[in-house]
Amino acid sequence: MSLIIRNLHARVVGGQEILRGLDLEIEKGRVHAVMGPNGSGKSTLSKVIAGHPDYEVTEGEILLDGQSLLGLEPDERARAGLFLAFQYPMEIPGVSNANFIRAALSARLKEGEELDATEYYGELYEKMDRLEIPRGFTARSVNEGFSGGEKKRNEVLQMAMLKPSYAILDETDSGLDIDALKIVSAGVNDQRGPNLGALVITHYQRLLDYITPDVVHVLLGGRIVRSGGPELALELEARGYDWIREELAEPAAV
Amino acid sequence: MSTEVISQLEIDRTRGDFHYPEAHTFDAGIGLNHATIDYIADVKGEPDWIREFRHRALDVFLSKPMPTHWASQDLENIIFDKIRYYLSNAQRPTRSWDEVPEDVKRTFERLGIPEQERKFLAGVEAQFDSEAVYSNIKKALGDQGVIFVGSTEGLKEHPEIFRKWFGKVIPTGDNKFSALNSAVFSGGSFIYVPPGVKVKHPLQAYFRINAENFGQFERTLIIADEGSEVMYMEGCTAPKFETATLHSAVVELVALKGAKIQYVTVQNWSANVFNLVTKRAVAHEEAEVKWIDCNIGSRLTMKYPGVVLKGRKARGEVLSIALANNGQHQDTGAKMIHAADETTSNIISKSISIGKGRATYRGLVHIPKHLKGCKNNTECDALLINSSSRTDTYPAITVRGSGNSVQHEASVSQVSAEQIFYMQQRGLTEAQAMSLSVNGFVNDLVREFPMEYSVELKRLIDLEMEGSVG
Amino acid sequence: MSNALLENATPSQSTPVPAWFRDQQRAAAERYESLPAPSRQDESWRFANLQAFDVQDYAPARPIASETAADLAAQSIGIAGAEPKLVFANDQLLARPRPAQLPAGVVFAPLAEALQTHPELVQQYALREGATLGSRKFAALHQSSLRNGTFLYVPKGVQVEVPLQSFHWLAGAGQAIFPHTLLIAEEGSSVTLVDWFEAGDDSKALACGIHDLWVGKNANVRHVAVQEWSREVTSIHSNTTRVQSGGSVVHLGLHLGGKFSRTESASFLEGAGARSEMLALTIADGAQEFDQRTLQNHLAPGTASDLLYKNALYDTAKTIFAGLIRVAPEAHHTDAYQKVRNLVLSDLAEANSMPGLEILADQVRCTHGATTGEIHPEELFYMQARGIAKKDAFRLITFGFLNEVLSRFPCDAIREPLQNRLLERLRGH
Repeated sequence: MSLIIRNLHARVVGGQEILRGLDLEIEKGRVHAVMGPNGSGKSTLSKVIAGHPDYEVTEGEILLDGQSLLGLEPDERARAGLFLAFQYPMEIPGVSNANFIRAALSARLKEGEELDATEYYGELYEKMDRLEIPRGFTARSVNEGFSGGEKKRNEVLQMAMLKPSYAILDETDSGLDIDALKIVSAGVNDQRGPNLGALVITHYQRLLDYITPDVVHVLLGGRIVRSGGPELALELEARGYDWIREELAEPAAV
Repeated sequence: MSTEVISQLEIDRTRGDFHYPEAHTFDAGIGLNHATIDYIADVKGEPDWIREFRHRALDVFLSKPMPTHWASQDLENIIFDKIRYYLSNAQRPTRSWDEVPEDVKRTFERLGIPEQERKFLAGVEAQFDSEAVYSNIKKALGDQGVIFVGSTEGLKEHPEIFRKWFGKVIPTGDNKFSALNSAVFSGGSFIYVPPGVKVKHPLQAYFRINAENFGQFERTLIIADEGSEVMYMEGCTAPKFETATLHSAVVELVALKGAKIQYVTVQNWSANVFNLVTKRAVAHEEAEVKWIDCNIGSRLTMKYPGVVLKGRKARGEVLSIALANNGQHQDTGAKMIHAADETTSNIISKSISIGKGRATYRGLVHIPKHLKGCKNNTECDALLINSSSRTDTYPAITVRGSGNSVQHEASVSQVSAEQIFYMQQRGLTEAQAMSLSVNGFVNDLVREFPMEYSVELKRLIDLEMEGSVG
Repeated sequence: MSNALLENATPSQSTPVPAWFRDQQRAAAERYESLPAPSRQDESWRFANLQAFDVQDYAPARPIASETAADLAAQSIGIAGAEPKLVFANDQLLARPRPAQLPAGVVFAPLAEALQTHPELVQQYALREGATLGSRKFAALHQSSLRNGTFLYVPKGVQVEVPLQSFHWLAGAGQAIFPHTLLIAEEGSSVTLVDWFEAGDDSKALACGIHDLWVGKNANVRHVAVQEWSREVTSIHSNTTRVQSGGSVVHLGLHLGGKFSRTESASFLEGAGARSEMLALTIADGAQEFDQRTLQNHLAPGTASDLLYKNALYDTAKTIFAGLIRVAPEAHHTDAYQKVRNLVLSDLAEANSMPGLEILADQVRCTHGATTGEIHPEELFYMQARGIAKKDAFRLITFGFLNEVLSRFPCDAIREPLQNRLLERLRGH
């Protein structure tokens, strides 16, 4: 059981190729981290997996537990068990957080099934408490007027409620101070276990102090160019990316 | 542009308030009828198609009611029977200031025009009452095929280009005053910029009304051929007569594929002039038209420069500043007619009402159905100074279909007493403090203007404020 | 326009009405005859579909059959528990449940009854001025044809806690009704009224209504008008609100039904410190046309008004919003806001916006804004990434867009049923 990305080539519709043959396998129960400098294709990777309409896949495949995601709508991918924690979560005016999460959960039910409101709120409040989110939050509009930290906490809350089999955390650490980072990381770690495969995309090693990955990958020029254990992240933090570029240098242009 | 040069760009109201005795060779007399039109066409020796065009236009003018159901009642005070519609001394402008008649030359020298030409302009046209008295462009531009002449000359010398575009952007019947202009037009500029030619320095026209009870009806037509660029600037003055004077121009711009036209106006008519002007541009594919429109003078101005965005990715912009002092009504605005996909338009309007002055913004944004990716942004800000001034905003926005985005915002505010007190405490006079505040209000917009105009404009605002306080 | 509408236009013969009232109605009938029909030359009818408001094919409504009447009375629920209620159908009183005891002095009665019991109040406050936003002719028609309506009087200092409701049903082909609401809140009083305009069937009919709200010194009034006419109804409705010193009013309109619907809403802030909040939401689909004209008229210093209108457009629907903030020379220190937002959800819908300002005073803060756009693709993607299907995401975002208007209404008990109404109306999309 895993999320498999094979020889993935993708670009902005009509634009330059950004992912150029990317391979990655995220096994259920494991946490993978992808690190890379600006412009290496990190955010593209998360959006392409989730099915953002601005991008097109020109080659390769993405399989979730054997099911191909390509050709599926973003909501179909989500219901198949994929979760993307956005780097910049959207504001949705007039729609309360409680209603939004409820709508997302209801979308996962079979025809004729209904969500039990008492159970729903019970679970929601419990998870909000763990993320130190005050109760008033449920009535506020989704992300509207939220601070950076509140938005990221909301992403992790949604993840906890929707219980995906695979989660992609796109630069979840950006815009967080150290306290918020600890709370958000604890929220993610809470959900680690045999039923979740996670892909943590980040620019800085800092996040990986709190969410320890099983495997670390380096993304450069639209491809995974190196993989290793958590120590690789530390090495990147200390030495930057140039040494990898140099080691790969022979045919510089791909 | 050094500030030294700018300080000589003096076209403020006091500077313009003088006139020399008139003695015109050609005078169409007082009042307007078909005989007036024949007189004008005869004097100008015009081809029949123009004569007929004028006669038809007069009928349209006479048949159209005054637009007082939406516009100012002050229009009723224009007595068309008491106006002189054509006054001139000669039909052909000279190419050299030396040949300009002495009294006319003195007028323009007092206004600083020949000096500006030497210093930074690529070409100058000077109109005195009905006709251009002087018109000249730098030789290098002429050699590249750029045409810059008066409209009278343009229609005679370049009929093949003139006739193709004349009256096409603004039809005669667009409104009562475009019809009036079409009937009795004289003077104005005709400009043609050949494909790919980028005119680096501005072309300037200067319009002077010297005679009392007179109507000036210049007609300007600018065609920027594919990929060309041109900036046109116009200035205007008139002495302050006891009776009302009428200025009613029609300006048509055509920006062909990829062309850029910037049209800059600093309107500083004396406070007895009715200034009723129709200005519109057509922007073809990827073309860009920018109207920069500053209205400081006149009794009543009605002017809503527009852009018809006819080609894909065309851009239209109107940046406008209006200053309405005692007895003035600046009724200005903008029209953006989107007619192709991915066209964008931007309107920024700032008005200042002082004393009993009144500023009005009217806007029209139209996006018909089946277009995609069109965008309009409109911002109108009004500043009120003194409790008897007035400001109005009347935009009309029509959007058909999804896939487009339109945003309009307007605000009204005033210079706060606290702000003025703060500055006074630092030693500024009330007028200086007001000036600073007003300049601050228009500053972000003025920054978009060509340098030589932004400094001039600030100076004009200072002058207006001096008279308004105390 | 023919006289058909004016025949039998005098109030129901069974109840005698005061002579002054009858005289006013006769004068109004003459006014109606002599006033010109609306024309495009009139700025207040710019962009309007003038044919839509040709009313000559209608006649004053006949009473509805008794079995239908019982049915409609039973359906008149609205806000559960909000009673007493008045229920009218085709301008006749159907039912008047009043289990709750209203505070002493409060009058909540059919207008025809109030003309008998409180003629002086009706004379003082009802229809004092014609429509200010273009529908003078229709206001004259309304007055000449008026037969009944809702009369609500709250005496000085009295707080009515429970929301009151009145229902105005319209049924039968070619019928015309003239629903009327007169609300008088005396100094320091407080009250909430919900008016429901409901379709008894789906026939072609006409509604020409007026609300007059008079908000006394420091009084606090909340008024909701829910328009759910059938898809064949032409509706012309004006709302005039007058607010005295320190008084405060919130008026909320839900424009959901009808074929052609014109709503004129004017707030006159007559006393220092008066405030008015004007809220409306419109769902326009099919070939529906909604024409909305508003006025925020600041006539005294220190007054405040805040307007938020939102329109969601589907199919070939069309909306017009024309709003004016007017600040009179003496109304210094005014705060006035006006915002209209159009969400265009189809390629053939048309949204017209004309937000206007006329400012004649100094030391004012006024802004207006108008936006027209579509659903942001990133918002849609965010929803989809949470597993919500595209169609549901569209609906949820649209609901959120409109719900912002409801969330400004300061009464929880009313907000929720209205949200349900909204969801119900969006269900097909």
